[in-house]
Amino acid sequence: MSTLSRMPVATADRVKPRRLPGVDGVWVAIGADSVIFAILFLTFMQDRLKDPALFEMSRHALNMNFGGIDTLILLTSSWSVALAIQALKRDLVDRVPRFLLGGALTGLLFMMSKSIEYFQKFAEGLTPATNPFYMWYFTLTGIHLLHVVFGTSLLTYVWIKSRRGAYSSLNRVVPECVASYWHLVDLLWIVIFPLLYLMKAA
Amino acid sequence: MSVLRERVTWVWLGLVVLTCVTTWGLSKDLFSPAVAVVGIFLIAAMKVRYVMLDFMELRQAPIPVRVAFEAWPVVVAAMILSFWFATGTIA
Amino acid sequence: MATHAPPGTSAAARDLSPYPTDYRTWKILAWTGPVFLAAFFCLWGLLADNIPPFPPSATPDEVWQHYADLRLPIMIGMSVCLTMAAFYMSWSVAIARVMERIEGPGGVLSKLEMMGGTITCAPLMVACAIWLTAAHEIHNINPGIAHMLYWMGWLLIDLAYFVTSLQIAAVSIVFMRDKREKKLVPDAVIWWGWVTFASFFVVSAIPFVTTGPLAFNGVISFWIAFFTWFFWIPSLSYFIIKAIGRLKAEDEAAGRVNA
Repeated sequence: MSTLSRMPVATADRVKPRRLPGVDGVWVAIGADSVIFAILFLTFMQDRLKDPALFEMSRHALNMNFGGIDTLILLTSSWSVALAIQALKRDLVDRVPRFLLGGALTGLLFMMSKSIEYFQKFAEGLTPATNPFYMWYFTLTGIHLLHVVFGTSLLTYVWIKSRRGAYSSLNRVVPECVASYWHLVDLLWIVIFPLLYLMKAA
Repeated sequence: MSVLRERVTWVWLGLVVLTCVTTWGLSKDLFSPAVAVVGIFLIAAMKVRYVMLDFMELRQAPIPVRVAFEAWPVVVAAMILSFWFATGTIA
Repeated sequence: MATHAPPGTSAAARDLSPYPTDYRTWKILAWTGPVFLAAFFCLWGLLADNIPPFPPSATPDEVWQHYADLRLPIMIGMSVCLTMAAFYMSWSVAIARVMERIEGPGGVLSKLEMMGGTITCAPLMVACAIWLTAAHEIHNINPGIAHMLYWMGWLLIDLAYFVTSLQIAAVSIVFMRDKREKKLVPDAVIWWGWVTFASFFVVSAIPFVTTGPLAFNGVISFWIAFFTWFFWIPSLSYFIIKAIGRLKAEDEAAGRVNA
């Protein structure tokens, strides 16, 4: 007597129960991390309120091309990882590794880009101790970078395992958890980049 | 599976375009600071939303979780923009 | 009356001692966790004025004045807090015993948890003693010494975080392995443990900064790092206390007296 059996077959096929990818617990961590970063963004804006001229002047030394390219790198990385999960759901097991590798390599590219950017800053004499804006710049991008390093390591791990055929549509919890975490890393940068690099003063 | 026909590919393309618009368009001096900043952060919020719904697959998530996560870009953008407007002009 | 678990029962349910399990004491020990938190929050946090802490950017004269102004509340807060920090240890013992029921008797992670929780008391107690001394002796010491004692307490209480991290990691790992359909400790608390674990690392920056988010009074090193831990303690305690009751019921149903 279920509603499903009375539905036309096509509709019944489309009615899938709502689910979260991976394990539920990882979403607690993702949610907590998102809230923590939101608190950091709030505190940044509070500090900026105290000295907007200093923040604006300091912002000018940042290279928005670097920042924009970093965003494109992470978006592409997320795309690659999302494709991996789509392939996994359809049991296209041989296509999964290349997409995960794409994710890991773009993660590595982001790390290299950030390193170059940091070294340039140091060469210009700009460090976290320079002023409150730079403390925030290095802290926010630095903590984000730690997330990128961790995420890239996880992607590398699942890439290696996927090459050995460890995952399938019925066994995809670990790659899904890693993917979800990686998309978090991507979306955090989507906010961090304009906050630090693009937000000009009134 | 054709990559070009996947939803995530179209979402990616859209995100790339929006990134170029904000980074190399809205940030230019053609626009007043208020227009630029509001535009940039509304776009950022939209980008975050698409990453959440289509990359993170929250479209298919239980409704309460989806609502909670979708609230994040709204709250963050609203908070940032409120502070920006409260900060006033620099000398 | 069975004195041994029937063969084929998992190791976790095997008798651990020749004496009957003392569920009451076990539960009391589990309750000392929330007691610790209440004491620490009220005495160290509120009375001794550490929420948020007096700034690391303060000059020696400012620190001296702070201790002179708040001498009595700091002395009361720190002395009682120092004593009650022991409850973190007793709490850890209760948790370890629950963990052993999943990991097996004498498991390494249960031991790591108990050691981690116990050793956590050391930086808490010694830092409180240092700050107590600063307040007690404020009229006999110069601002430079006051500043030094202030920093010594903070460097100790903050940088010893990794003993607590290992305690938290051990808890999360073991409770993740719980095979019960309704776990003794839910995933949300386990994963909150991992969030807390991750939040501690950046605190290592405190010797190098006196202002901003990473300073020991900053949004990251203080508000986030301390409050993730403050939330972990009562949320884990709730489920540990409940778990002891559940284990008692499981034991009674299986006819075990000394598991």
